[in-house]
Amino acid sequence: MREAVELGARFGADGRFLAGGTDLLIQMRRGQLRARHLVSLHRVPGLGAVDIDDAVTLGALVTHRRLEREPGFRGALRALIESAEVVGGHQIRNVATVGGNIVNASPAADVVPVLIALDAEVTCVGPGGERTFPLEAFASAPGVTARRPGELLTRARFARLPPNSATAFLKAGRRRAMEIALVCVAARVTLDAGRERCVDARIVLGAVAPTTLRARAAELSLRGQPLTERARREAGRAAAAECSPISDVRASARYRALLVATLVERALARCAERIGQTA
Amino acid sequence: MARIPLSLRVNGEAHDLAVEPHRTLLDVLRAELGITGTKENCLEAECGVCTVLLDGMAVNACIVLALQCREREVTTIEGLAAGGALHPVQQAFIDLGAVQCGYCIPGMILAARAYLDGNPTPSEAEIREALAGNLCRCTGYQKIVDAVLSAAGAEVPARR
Repeated sequence: MREAVELGARFGADGRFLAGGTDLLIQMRRGQLRARHLVSLHRVPGLGAVDIDDAVTLGALVTHRRLEREPGFRGALRALIESAEVVGGHQIRNVATVGGNIVNASPAADVVPVLIALDAEVTCVGPGGERTFPLEAFASAPGVTARRPGELLTRARFARLPPNSATAFLKAGRRRAMEIALVCVAARVTLDAGRERCVDARIVLGAVAPTTLRARAAELSLRGQPLTERARREAGRAAAAECSPISDVRASARYRALLVATLVERALARCAERIGQTA
Repeated sequence: MARIPLSLRVNGEAHDLAVEPHRTLLDVLRAELGITGTKENCLEAECGVCTVLLDGMAVNACIVLALQCREREVTTIEGLAAGGALHPVQQAFIDLGAVQCGYCIPGMILAARAYLDGNPTPSEAEIREALAGNLCRCTGYQKIVDAVLSAAGAEVPARR
Protein backbone atom coordinates (compact mmCIF):
# COMPACT_ATOMS: atom_id res chain seq x y z
CA MET A 1 0.00 0.00 0.00
CA ARG A 2 2.80 2.43 0.93
CA GLU A 3 4.52 1.76 -2.38
CA ALA A 4 1.30 2.41 -4.33
CA VAL A 5 0.72 5.69 -2.47
CA GLU A 6 4.34 6.78 -3.09
CA LEU A 7 4.03 6.01 -6.80
CA GLY A 8 0.68 7.82 -6.92
CA ALA A 9 2.23 10.90 -5.33
CA ARG A 10 5.27 10.80 -7.61
CA PHE A 11 3.26 10.54 -10.85
CA GLY A 12 0.40 12.85 -9.80
CA ALA A 13 -1.86 13.71 -12.74
CA ASP A 14 0.45 11.76 -15.12
CA GLY A 15 -0.44 8.50 -13.41
CA ARG A 16 -3.50 6.34 -12.92
CA PHE A 17 -4.21 3.46 -10.59
CA LEU A 18 -5.26 0.32 -12.44
CA ALA A 19 -7.96 -1.79 -10.78
CA GLY A 20 -10.28 -3.82 -13.07
CA GLY A 21 -9.36 -1.75 -16.12
CA THR A 22 -12.84 -2.07 -17.64
CA ASP A 23 -13.15 1.70 -18.01
CA LEU A 24 -9.55 2.89 -17.82
CA LEU A 25 -8.04 0.69 -20.55
CA ILE A 26 -10.92 1.36 -22.93
CA GLN A 27 -10.68 5.12 -22.40
CA MET A 28 -6.93 4.95 -23.02
CA ARG A 29 -7.37 2.94 -26.22
CA ARG A 30 -9.92 5.47 -27.48
CA GLY A 31 -7.44 8.25 -26.77
CA GLN A 32 -9.89 9.87 -24.34
CA LEU A 33 -7.43 9.56 -21.50
CA ARG A 34 -3.67 9.79 -21.60
CA ALA A 35 -1.75 8.35 -18.69
CA ARG A 36 2.02 8.13 -18.75
CA HIS A 37 2.12 5.66 -15.88
CA LEU A 38 -0.25 2.95 -14.67
CA VAL A 39 0.11 1.70 -11.10
CA SER A 40 -1.45 -1.75 -10.86
CA LEU A 41 -3.16 -2.39 -7.53
CA HIS A 42 -3.58 -6.13 -7.98
CA ARG A 43 -0.95 -7.19 -5.54
CA VAL A 44 -1.68 -4.59 -2.87
CA PRO A 45 -2.77 -6.71 0.11
CA GLY A 46 -6.17 -6.21 1.74
CA LEU A 47 -7.87 -4.14 -0.95
CA GLY A 48 -9.99 -7.10 -2.11
CA ALA A 49 -11.63 -7.83 1.24
CA VAL A 50 -15.26 -7.62 2.36
CA ASP A 51 -15.48 -7.17 6.16
CA ILE A 52 -18.83 -7.47 7.88
CA ASP A 53 -19.13 -6.63 11.58
CA ASP A 54 -20.99 -3.61 13.06
CA ALA A 55 -20.06 -1.86 9.86
CA VAL A 56 -19.50 -3.25 6.39
CA THR A 57 -16.21 -2.40 4.68
CA LEU A 58 -15.65 -3.01 0.99
CA GLY A 59 -12.05 -2.81 -0.18
CA ALA A 60 -11.57 -0.84 -3.39
CA LEU A 61 -10.67 -3.99 -5.34
CA VAL A 62 -13.80 -5.93 -4.37
CA THR A 63 -15.23 -7.10 -7.69
CA HIS A 64 -18.86 -7.05 -8.76
CA ARG A 65 -18.66 -10.86 -8.86
CA ARG A 66 -17.68 -10.85 -5.19
CA LEU A 67 -20.64 -8.58 -4.26
CA GLU A 68 -23.08 -10.77 -6.19
CA ARG A 69 -21.95 -13.86 -4.31
CA GLU A 70 -21.62 -12.45 -0.78
CA PRO A 71 -23.98 -14.46 1.47
CA GLY A 72 -23.94 -11.60 4.03
CA PHE A 73 -25.78 -9.37 1.54
CA ARG A 74 -28.72 -11.73 0.93
CA GLY A 75 -30.82 -10.13 3.70
CA ALA A 76 -31.41 -6.42 4.24
CA LEU A 77 -28.48 -5.48 2.00
CA ARG A 78 -29.87 -7.33 -1.00
CA ALA A 79 -29.76 -4.22 -3.22
CA LEU A 80 -25.97 -4.59 -3.31
CA ILE A 81 -26.38 -7.97 -5.01
CA GLU A 82 -29.16 -6.65 -7.25
CA SER A 83 -27.02 -3.75 -8.47
CA ALA A 84 -23.81 -5.77 -8.94
CA GLU A 85 -25.44 -8.58 -10.92
CA VAL A 86 -26.78 -6.31 -13.67
CA VAL A 87 -23.42 -4.73 -14.54
CA GLY A 88 -22.04 -5.84 -17.94
CA GLY A 89 -21.58 -9.54 -18.61
CA HIS A 90 -19.71 -12.08 -16.49
CA GLN A 91 -16.36 -11.18 -18.08
CA ILE A 92 -16.80 -7.58 -16.87
CA ARG A 93 -18.14 -8.43 -13.42
CA ASN A 94 -15.27 -10.85 -12.84
CA VAL A 95 -12.78 -7.98 -12.92
CA ALA A 96 -14.64 -4.64 -12.53
CA THR A 97 -14.29 -3.24 -9.01
CA VAL A 98 -16.31 -1.22 -6.52
CA GLY A 99 -13.49 1.29 -6.21
CA GLY A 100 -13.36 1.76 -9.98
CA ASN A 101 -17.12 2.23 -10.13
CA ILE A 102 -16.86 4.98 -7.48
CA VAL A 103 -13.88 6.95 -8.83
CA ASN A 104 -15.09 6.68 -12.43
CA ALA A 105 -18.03 8.82 -11.23
CA SER A 106 -20.40 7.88 -14.02
CA PRO A 107 -23.90 9.25 -13.31
CA ALA A 108 -25.19 5.88 -14.59
CA ALA A 109 -23.14 3.76 -12.14
CA ASP A 110 -25.21 0.91 -10.72
CA VAL A 111 -23.58 0.10 -7.36
CA VAL A 112 -23.01 3.74 -6.34
CA PRO A 113 -26.74 4.58 -5.76
CA VAL A 114 -27.02 1.60 -3.42
CA LEU A 115 -23.93 2.66 -1.46
CA ILE A 116 -25.31 6.20 -1.17
CA ALA A 117 -28.63 4.77 0.03
CA LEU A 118 -26.61 3.02 2.76
CA ASP A 119 -24.95 6.35 3.78
CA ALA A 120 -21.56 4.97 2.77
CA GLU A 121 -18.34 6.87 3.35
CA VAL A 122 -15.28 6.49 1.15
CA THR A 123 -11.66 6.85 2.19
CA CYS A 124 -8.79 8.10 0.06
CA VAL A 125 -5.15 7.88 1.06
CA GLY A 126 -2.35 10.13 -0.13
CA PRO A 127 1.04 11.28 1.13
CA GLY A 128 -0.70 13.49 3.70
CA GLY A 129 -2.68 10.61 5.16
CA GLU A 130 -6.31 9.53 4.90
CA ARG A 131 -9.33 11.64 3.97
CA THR A 132 -12.89 10.38 4.36
CA PHE A 133 -15.95 11.70 2.52
CA PRO A 134 -19.64 10.89 2.48
CA LEU A 135 -20.04 9.13 -0.86
CA GLU A 136 -23.05 11.34 -1.55
CA ALA A 137 -20.73 14.38 -1.71
CA PHE A 138 -17.79 12.65 -3.41
CA ALA A 139 -18.69 13.21 -7.09
CA SER A 140 -19.34 16.75 -8.31
CA ALA A 141 -19.72 16.19 -12.07
CA PRO A 142 -19.46 13.26 -14.50
CA GLY A 143 -15.98 11.80 -13.97
CA VAL A 144 -15.04 14.39 -11.33
CA THR A 145 -14.62 13.54 -7.64
CA ALA A 146 -13.01 15.01 -4.52
CA ARG A 147 -10.09 12.61 -4.97
CA ARG A 148 -6.83 14.45 -5.72
CA PRO A 149 -4.53 13.26 -8.50
CA GLY A 150 -2.34 10.51 -7.05
CA GLU A 151 -4.66 9.84 -4.14
CA LEU A 152 -5.82 6.23 -3.82
CA LEU A 153 -9.40 5.34 -2.92
CA THR A 154 -9.01 2.39 -0.57
CA ARG A 155 -12.47 1.50 0.74
CA ALA A 156 -16.16 2.21 1.14
CA ARG A 157 -17.76 1.70 4.52
CA PHE A 158 -21.30 1.84 5.92
CA ALA A 159 -23.07 0.93 9.15
CA ARG A 160 -25.18 -2.23 9.32
CA LEU A 161 -28.90 -1.47 9.00
CA PRO A 162 -31.20 -1.39 12.06
CA PRO A 163 -33.94 -4.04 12.41
CA ASN A 164 -37.02 -3.72 10.17
CA SER A 165 -34.96 -2.36 7.28
CA ALA A 166 -34.78 -3.41 3.64
CA THR A 167 -33.15 -2.28 0.41
CA ALA A 168 -34.05 -2.72 -3.24
CA PHE A 169 -32.42 -1.81 -6.55
CA LEU A 170 -34.13 -1.58 -9.94
CA LYS A 171 -32.66 -0.73 -13.33
CA ALA A 172 -34.30 -0.03 -16.66
CA GLY A 173 -32.37 -0.54 -19.88
CA ARG A 174 -33.28 -1.26 -23.48
CA ARG A 175 -32.33 -4.92 -23.01
CA ARG A 176 -31.81 -7.04 -19.93
CA ALA A 177 -28.05 -7.57 -19.94
CA MET A 178 -24.89 -5.73 -21.02
CA GLU A 179 -26.71 -2.41 -20.86
CA ILE A 180 -26.06 1.00 -19.39
CA ALA A 181 -28.97 2.16 -17.22
CA LEU A 182 -31.61 4.43 -18.74
CA VAL A 183 -32.55 4.96 -15.13
CA CYS A 184 -31.65 3.07 -11.97
CA VAL A 185 -33.12 3.45 -8.50
CA ALA A 186 -31.89 2.35 -5.08
CA ALA A 187 -34.23 2.48 -2.09
CA ARG A 188 -33.64 1.84 1.61
CA VAL A 189 -36.45 1.86 4.15
CA THR A 190 -36.51 1.39 7.92
CA LEU A 191 -39.90 0.88 9.59
CA ASP A 192 -40.75 1.30 13.27
CA ALA A 193 -40.84 -1.64 15.69
CA GLY A 194 -44.46 -2.37 14.80
CA ARG A 195 -43.50 -2.36 11.11
CA GLU A 196 -46.23 0.18 10.43
CA ARG A 197 -44.59 3.52 9.77
CA CYS A 198 -41.46 4.59 7.97
CA VAL A 199 -38.84 6.05 10.31
CA ASP A 200 -36.10 6.50 7.72
CA ALA A 201 -35.83 6.27 3.96
CA ARG A 202 -33.30 6.86 1.21
CA ILE A 203 -34.18 7.13 -2.45
CA VAL A 204 -31.23 7.46 -4.81
CA LEU A 205 -31.43 7.86 -8.58
CA GLY A 206 -28.90 7.00 -11.30
CA ALA A 207 -28.61 8.33 -14.88
CA VAL A 208 -31.00 11.27 -14.39
CA ALA A 209 -28.61 14.05 -13.28
CA PRO A 210 -24.90 14.91 -13.72
CA THR A 211 -24.13 12.85 -10.61
CA THR A 212 -25.97 10.13 -8.71
CA LEU A 213 -28.86 11.96 -7.06
CA ARG A 214 -30.57 11.66 -3.68
CA ALA A 215 -34.28 12.40 -4.04
CA ARG A 216 -34.65 14.24 -0.73
CA ALA A 217 -38.22 15.48 -1.19
CA ALA A 218 -39.30 11.94 -1.95
CA GLU A 219 -37.48 10.67 1.14
CA LEU A 220 -39.11 13.34 3.33
CA SER A 221 -42.57 12.54 1.99
CA LEU A 222 -42.27 9.06 3.50
CA ARG A 223 -41.07 10.01 6.97
CA GLY A 224 -43.61 8.96 9.64
CA GLN A 225 -45.95 7.51 7.01
CA PRO A 226 -47.15 3.96 6.48
CA LEU A 227 -45.71 2.74 3.16
CA THR A 228 -49.12 2.55 1.52
CA GLU A 229 -49.59 2.29 -2.21
CA ARG A 230 -50.55 5.95 -2.21
CA ALA A 231 -47.44 7.02 -0.23
CA ARG A 232 -45.22 5.01 -2.56
CA ARG A 233 -46.80 6.63 -5.62
CA GLU A 234 -46.42 10.09 -4.10
CA ALA A 235 -42.74 9.42 -3.42
CA GLY A 236 -42.30 8.30 -7.04
CA ARG A 237 -43.90 11.53 -8.28
CA ALA A 238 -41.73 13.62 -5.97
CA ALA A 239 -38.57 11.86 -7.16
CA ALA A 240 -39.52 12.41 -10.81
CA ALA A 241 -39.96 16.12 -10.09
CA GLU A 242 -36.52 16.33 -8.42
CA CYS A 243 -34.44 14.73 -11.17
CA SER A 244 -33.06 16.48 -14.27
CA PRO A 245 -32.58 13.84 -16.98
CA ILE A 246 -31.35 14.54 -20.49
CA SER A 247 -32.65 13.25 -23.81
CA ASP A 248 -30.14 11.17 -25.77
CA VAL A 249 -30.04 8.29 -28.23
CA ARG A 250 -31.24 5.89 -25.55
CA ALA A 251 -34.30 7.68 -24.17
CA SER A 252 -36.01 11.05 -23.90
CA ALA A 253 -35.89 13.12 -20.72
CA ARG A 254 -39.66 12.74 -20.37
CA TYR A 255 -39.46 8.95 -20.58
CA ARG A 256 -36.66 8.86 -18.04
CA ALA A 257 -38.75 10.93 -15.61
CA LEU A 258 -41.66 8.50 -16.06
CA LEU A 259 -39.30 5.62 -15.39
CA VAL A 260 -38.12 7.30 -12.18
CA ALA A 261 -41.70 7.58 -10.88
CA THR A 262 -42.46 3.96 -11.67
CA LEU A 263 -39.19 2.46 -10.46
CA VAL A 264 -39.24 4.41 -7.17
CA GLU A 265 -42.78 3.20 -6.50
CA ARG A 266 -41.79 -0.40 -7.27
CA ALA A 267 -38.56 -0.28 -5.29
CA LEU A 268 -40.48 0.96 -2.24
CA ALA A 269 -43.08 -1.79 -2.71
CA ARG A 270 -40.28 -4.30 -2.79
CA CYS A 271 -38.80 -2.88 0.43
CA ALA A 272 -42.21 -3.04 2.16
CA GLU A 273 -42.62 -6.65 1.04
CA ARG A 274 -39.14 -7.58 2.21
CA ILE A 275 -39.61 -6.10 5.68
CA GLY A 276 -43.06 -7.68 5.98
CA GLN A 277 -44.93 -4.42 6.51
CA THR A 278 -48.02 -4.92 8.69
CA ALA A 279 -49.94 -1.78 7.72
CA MET B 1 9.25 1.51 -24.79
CA ALA B 2 11.25 -0.80 -22.54
CA ARG B 3 10.29 -4.44 -22.49
CA ILE B 4 9.68 -6.07 -19.14
CA PRO B 5 10.35 -9.75 -18.47
CA LEU B 6 7.19 -11.81 -18.10
CA SER B 7 6.79 -15.49 -17.39
CA LEU B 8 3.34 -16.32 -18.73
CA ARG B 9 1.61 -19.65 -18.13
CA VAL B 10 -0.75 -20.54 -20.96
CA ASN B 11 -2.57 -23.88 -21.12
CA GLY B 12 -0.17 -25.36 -18.58
CA GLU B 13 2.97 -24.29 -20.42
CA ALA B 14 5.34 -21.56 -19.19
CA HIS B 15 6.59 -18.97 -21.71
CA ASP B 16 9.44 -16.60 -20.90
CA LEU B 17 8.76 -13.33 -22.68
CA ALA B 18 9.70 -9.68 -22.60
CA VAL B 19 6.75 -7.37 -23.33
CA GLU B 20 6.03 -3.65 -23.32
CA PRO B 21 3.79 -2.72 -20.38
CA HIS B 22 0.93 -1.44 -22.55
CA ARG B 23 0.42 -4.72 -24.41
CA THR B 24 -2.73 -6.68 -23.74
CA LEU B 25 -3.00 -10.37 -23.02
CA LEU B 26 -4.89 -10.73 -26.32
CA ASP B 27 -2.09 -9.11 -28.29
CA VAL B 28 0.62 -11.18 -26.60
CA LEU B 29 -1.27 -14.45 -27.07
CA ARG B 30 -1.78 -13.83 -30.77
CA ALA B 31 1.32 -11.87 -31.85
CA GLU B 32 4.03 -13.18 -29.52
CA LEU B 33 2.88 -16.74 -28.92
CA GLY B 34 0.94 -17.46 -32.13
CA ILE B 35 -1.98 -18.80 -30.09
CA THR B 36 -4.64 -17.48 -32.45
CA GLY B 37 -7.72 -19.40 -31.31
CA THR B 38 -8.48 -16.35 -29.18
CA LYS B 39 -10.08 -13.89 -31.62
CA GLU B 40 -9.90 -10.12 -31.80
CA ASN B 41 -12.85 -7.91 -32.61
CA CYS B 42 -14.26 -4.91 -30.74
CA LEU B 43 -11.31 -4.27 -28.37
CA GLU B 44 -13.77 -2.63 -25.96
CA ALA B 45 -14.95 -5.61 -23.87
CA GLU B 46 -18.36 -5.55 -25.52
CA CYS B 47 -18.35 -8.62 -27.78
CA GLY B 48 -16.61 -11.37 -25.83
CA VAL B 49 -14.77 -13.01 -28.77
CA CYS B 50 -11.45 -12.61 -26.91
CA THR B 51 -12.73 -14.41 -23.79
CA VAL B 52 -10.05 -16.52 -22.07
CA LEU B 53 -9.93 -18.02 -18.59
CA LEU B 54 -7.67 -16.34 -16.04
CA ASP B 55 -7.31 -18.64 -13.03
CA GLY B 56 -10.50 -20.30 -14.27
CA MET B 57 -12.51 -17.06 -14.53
CA ALA B 58 -13.79 -15.73 -17.85
CA VAL B 59 -12.21 -12.37 -18.77
CA ASN B 60 -11.94 -10.27 -21.92
CA ALA B 61 -8.29 -10.57 -22.97
CA CYS B 62 -8.55 -7.23 -24.84
CA ILE B 63 -8.68 -5.28 -21.57
CA VAL B 64 -6.25 -7.33 -19.49
CA LEU B 65 -2.64 -6.19 -19.66
CA ALA B 66 -0.22 -9.06 -20.19
CA LEU B 67 1.81 -7.98 -17.17
CA GLN B 68 -1.28 -8.42 -14.97
CA CYS B 69 -1.12 -12.16 -15.72
CA ARG B 70 2.11 -12.79 -13.82
CA GLU B 71 1.83 -15.86 -11.60
CA ARG B 72 -1.62 -16.64 -12.98
CA GLU B 73 -2.90 -19.41 -15.24
CA VAL B 74 -4.29 -18.51 -18.66
CA THR B 75 -6.51 -21.01 -20.51
CA THR B 76 -7.37 -20.47 -24.17
CA ILE B 77 -9.56 -22.57 -26.46
CA GLU B 78 -6.43 -24.52 -27.43
CA GLY B 79 -6.09 -25.70 -23.83
CA LEU B 80 -9.58 -27.10 -23.49
CA ALA B 81 -9.21 -30.43 -25.30
CA ALA B 82 -7.02 -32.23 -22.78
CA GLY B 83 -5.06 -35.04 -24.42
CA GLY B 84 -6.80 -34.48 -27.74
CA ALA B 85 -10.31 -35.39 -26.53
CA LEU B 86 -12.76 -32.54 -26.99
CA HIS B 87 -14.24 -30.94 -23.88
CA PRO B 88 -17.96 -31.85 -23.49
CA VAL B 89 -18.94 -28.25 -24.29
CA GLN B 90 -16.92 -28.39 -27.54
CA GLN B 91 -18.46 -31.74 -28.48
CA ALA B 92 -21.97 -30.45 -27.76
CA PHE B 93 -21.41 -27.40 -30.02
CA ILE B 94 -20.54 -29.80 -32.88
CA ASP B 95 -23.31 -32.30 -32.15
CA LEU B 96 -26.03 -29.66 -31.98
CA GLY B 97 -24.83 -27.59 -34.94
CA ALA B 98 -24.19 -24.51 -32.79
CA VAL B 99 -21.38 -23.15 -35.00
CA GLN B 100 -21.86 -21.08 -38.13
CA CYS B 101 -19.03 -18.72 -39.09
CA GLY B 102 -17.19 -19.75 -35.93
CA TYR B 103 -15.59 -16.44 -34.98
CA CYS B 104 -17.41 -16.06 -31.64
CA ILE B 105 -17.20 -19.74 -30.75
CA PRO B 106 -13.88 -19.94 -28.84
CA GLY B 107 -15.05 -17.17 -26.50
CA MET B 108 -18.55 -18.61 -26.30
CA ILE B 109 -17.23 -22.05 -25.33
CA LEU B 110 -14.84 -20.70 -22.71
CA ALA B 111 -17.54 -18.49 -21.17
CA ALA B 112 -19.89 -21.50 -21.07
CA ARG B 113 -17.20 -23.73 -19.57
CA ALA B 114 -16.42 -21.17 -16.79
CA TYR B 115 -20.11 -20.79 -16.00
CA LEU B 116 -20.78 -24.54 -15.89
CA ASP B 117 -17.84 -24.97 -13.50
CA GLY B 118 -19.76 -22.82 -10.98
CA ASN B 119 -23.29 -23.99 -11.86
CA PRO B 120 -23.30 -27.48 -13.43
CA THR B 121 -27.10 -27.67 -13.84
CA PRO B 122 -28.24 -24.28 -15.17
CA SER B 123 -31.65 -23.39 -16.55
CA GLU B 124 -32.01 -22.05 -20.08
CA ALA B 125 -32.48 -18.52 -18.71
CA GLU B 126 -29.31 -18.84 -16.63
CA ILE B 127 -27.35 -19.96 -19.70
CA ARG B 128 -28.60 -16.96 -21.67
CA GLU B 129 -27.53 -14.64 -18.85
CA ALA B 130 -24.17 -16.40 -18.54
CA LEU B 131 -23.48 -15.76 -22.25
CA ALA B 132 -24.76 -12.16 -22.29
CA GLY B 133 -21.21 -10.88 -22.75
CA ASN B 134 -20.64 -12.97 -25.91
CA LEU B 135 -22.15 -11.72 -29.15
CA CYS B 136 -22.91 -13.95 -32.14
CA ARG B 137 -24.08 -12.40 -35.41
CA CYS B 138 -24.90 -15.70 -37.20
CA THR B 139 -26.82 -18.18 -35.14
CA GLY B 140 -29.53 -16.29 -33.28
CA TYR B 141 -28.15 -18.05 -30.17
CA GLN B 142 -30.76 -20.81 -29.96
CA LYS B 143 -28.47 -23.66 -30.92
CA ILE B 144 -25.69 -22.26 -28.77
CA VAL B 145 -28.00 -22.30 -25.75
CA ASP B 146 -29.12 -25.81 -26.69
CA ALA B 147 -25.50 -26.97 -26.90
CA VAL B 148 -24.72 -25.65 -23.43
CA LEU B 149 -27.90 -27.27 -22.05
CA SER B 150 -26.82 -30.52 -23.64
CA ALA B 151 -23.26 -30.25 -22.29
CA ALA B 152 -24.81 -29.81 -18.83
CA GLY B 153 -26.67 -33.08 -19.31
CA ALA B 154 -30.09 -31.40 -19.57
CA GLU B 155 -32.73 -32.47 -22.02
CA VAL B 156 -32.81 -30.12 -25.02
CA PRO B 157 -36.40 -29.16 -25.80
CA ALA B 158 -37.64 -29.81 -29.33
CA ARG B 159 -37.72 -26.53 -31.30
CA ARG B 160 -39.95 -25.66 -34.22
